[in-house]
Amino acid sequence: MPPAPQRRRRQAVEESDDEEISQAHRARADDDSDGGGDPMEGVERDESSQLIKKLVRYALACEYSRTPIRRDGIKERVLGPNGREFKKVFAGAQKQLRATFGMEMVELPARDRALLTADQKRKAAKSQTQKEATSNAYILVSTLPEAYRTPAIITPSKVQSADGEAAYAALYSLIIAIIVLSGGELSDPRLRRHLTRLNAGENMPSADPNNGNAPSEKTELVLQRMIKQGYLVRVVEAKTQGDEDSVTWHVGPRGKMEVNNEAIAALIRTVYGTRTAELEAKLQVSLKVKERKIDDAQAAEEGNGGEEEEAAAGNGDPGPSRRRGRRRAAAEEDGDDD
Amino acid sequence: MDDEWEPPLPAGYNDSNRAFLQAFMARGTLTFGVAQKIVAGLILASEGGGDAIDPREVTMDDVSNYIRTAREAVESLDYDIRNTRHQQRDGERVWAFINAHSDPATQMGTMRTAEELAFIKRMLDAMFEDFNTPRMEVMAITEAQALKVSRPPRRQSGVNAPELGDGGGGDGDGGETSAGAVDRGLKHSEVMSLLSSLVAEGWLEKSQEGFYSLSPRSLMELWSWLVATYNDPDSDEDWQHIKFCEACKEIVTYGQRCSEVECTVRLHDICEQAFWRARRDKKCPKCQLPWDGKHFVGERAVTSRSGFQRGRGRRTSKRSDLAEAVAAQQEAADAGEEDDELED
Repeated sequence: MPPAPQRRRRQAVEESDDEEISQAHRARADDDSDGGGDPMEGVERDESSQLIKKLVRYALACEYSRTPIRRDGIKERVLGPNGREFKKVFAGAQKQLRATFGMEMVELPARDRALLTADQKRKAAKSQTQKEATSNAYILVSTLPEAYRTPAIITPSKVQSADGEAAYAALYSLIIAIIVLSGGELSDPRLRRHLTRLNAGENMPSADPNNGNAPSEKTELVLQRMIKQGYLVRVVEAKTQGDEDSVTWHVGPRGKMEVNNEAIAALIRTVYGTRTAELEAKLQVSLKVKERKIDDAQAAEEGNGGEEEEAAAGNGDPGPSRRRGRRRAAAEEDGDDD
Repeated sequence: MDDEWEPPLPAGYNDSNRAFLQAFMARGTLTFGVAQKIVAGLILASEGGGDAIDPREVTMDDVSNYIRTAREAVESLDYDIRNTRHQQRDGERVWAFINAHSDPATQMGTMRTAEELAFIKRMLDAMFEDFNTPRMEVMAITEAQALKVSRPPRRQSGVNAPELGDGGGGDGDGGETSAGAVDRGLKHSEVMSLLSSLVAEGWLEKSQEGFYSLSPRSLMELWSWLVATYNDPDSDEDWQHIKFCEACKEIVTYGQRCSEVECTVRLHDICEQAFWRARRDKKCPKCQLPWDGKHFVGERAVTSRSGFQRGRGRRTSKRSDLAEAVAAQQEAADAGEEDDELED
């Protein structure tokens, strides 16, 4: 525990900050909370709830720009000298997020070791920190029941523009769906082929498609953003002998959490339009999603048959290519192939 | 704090309220029409299906209840929900989800670069200082005028942004060698994109005549910042950059003014009717001059001028050039008596 006087001082600093912000020209609310130490006496308040408030606000601000909420960031920008309170404050913020906003912080999966290149693996082995397999990074997800996640209620956020958000979400969701249905990895040429088919091979809608000056953006730039925001991972494996490097695309940590298998199944159901027992059965085999009630109970039985295959997909293990091919064929049958 | 701590919530707070909050935050602002659709969706969701509800059946009371509850729920987190009437569009009511502590950098800034933020500040300065003088309170700028402030001024640094000033000047991409905090400004194409996205995000509005002005959302978010930044409480002058409606006391960026240049009485078009109905004669409550309703605050300060009208008659499509020409005239005219630009 930091000594009490220090903690009180910090409180005072925060308050003076707030005042300055409301009065005038402050750049960023959080950047400077460690700045000055003017010893203004703050009113005694419940310190924990202040920290919880700060963390809730920090989490919401991070989510707005799709920046992961990092444990280090929380320590630096929220807790300051109260670093030891992490657990308590985090739990409190979690409670508040769920209760007030119907959201919660979920930890992103740690980087998949299978995706490291040989070089990176060697480095990781050398540093030998033997870190536990946590990412210490979180994102906000909704905890609302599905009934509430309808277009009438939840629309694409107005970040830059709602239309741009909608287009962006559609594109990364679709790419992630294709990657997952391809067995968790997709070669670069195959991704390009899919994108070309979507007429998105060269350009994609920009963050603000209604902007006459820049309605679209280079596909490369948008893919970069998807990587940066954790939707996709691009792995370059340098070929040992000649040839070009082989590039493969995988689902990134944010992608795994936001566009999970249920979301992928929902996307496919929407694309296919009519839901049949056959489609549900295929979805179960490919994505291991919860069974959806349809008139035909047969779907469930068929689904059980595919257990072994699912396991392979679930581990992120691409498995023998023949098997992948079959599953892909099953899922993509009508919609996709030439 | 112990493990039993529970966040304070309004009575009866449930998933419908949470969903409403999420819906509100994603949109930033709500109008009654939009809120009706959301609430209709919420009722449907909470009843677990059934027949769709016609949004038009959702009453103002229903919407107000949701908004009041949402406000109660987020108040302790330094968020607020405020509402104001649009200064045009028949005074349509607009609710905004806002940060209680607000300035342009924290609000419009979350996704913006430092250069973009510096530009936004310059643009606001242009709106509220350069194009907002006692004679012409335009409080809006055209694209051409926005492009003019795309780079920081040479030599003299921007108001209260000393770290942005640099000796090299801002007129090119080459030649600047000073390290670090040099604000090169934005390219014209970047300014155009930024303006468009500020409109799409609901911070700016663009009028038919091509003027950009602050949206109700911005006015609510930046209310205290604008007043603190552009008004000087210690000034001896009556005239301040930000003025308020005689009737509703909200900021006027689009409305009417007293025909006396010195007089500071302003009135929204949308407040006018009710205001005069309650009075015996249509005279300025302060200086008693007849109120002609033909002296304007906002873009009409420019567009109602004969020069602008003539230009339109000619059907050249160079509207913004014209507006700029008029503004340039005005600038020249004001140069003599206006000296607040020299302040810092």
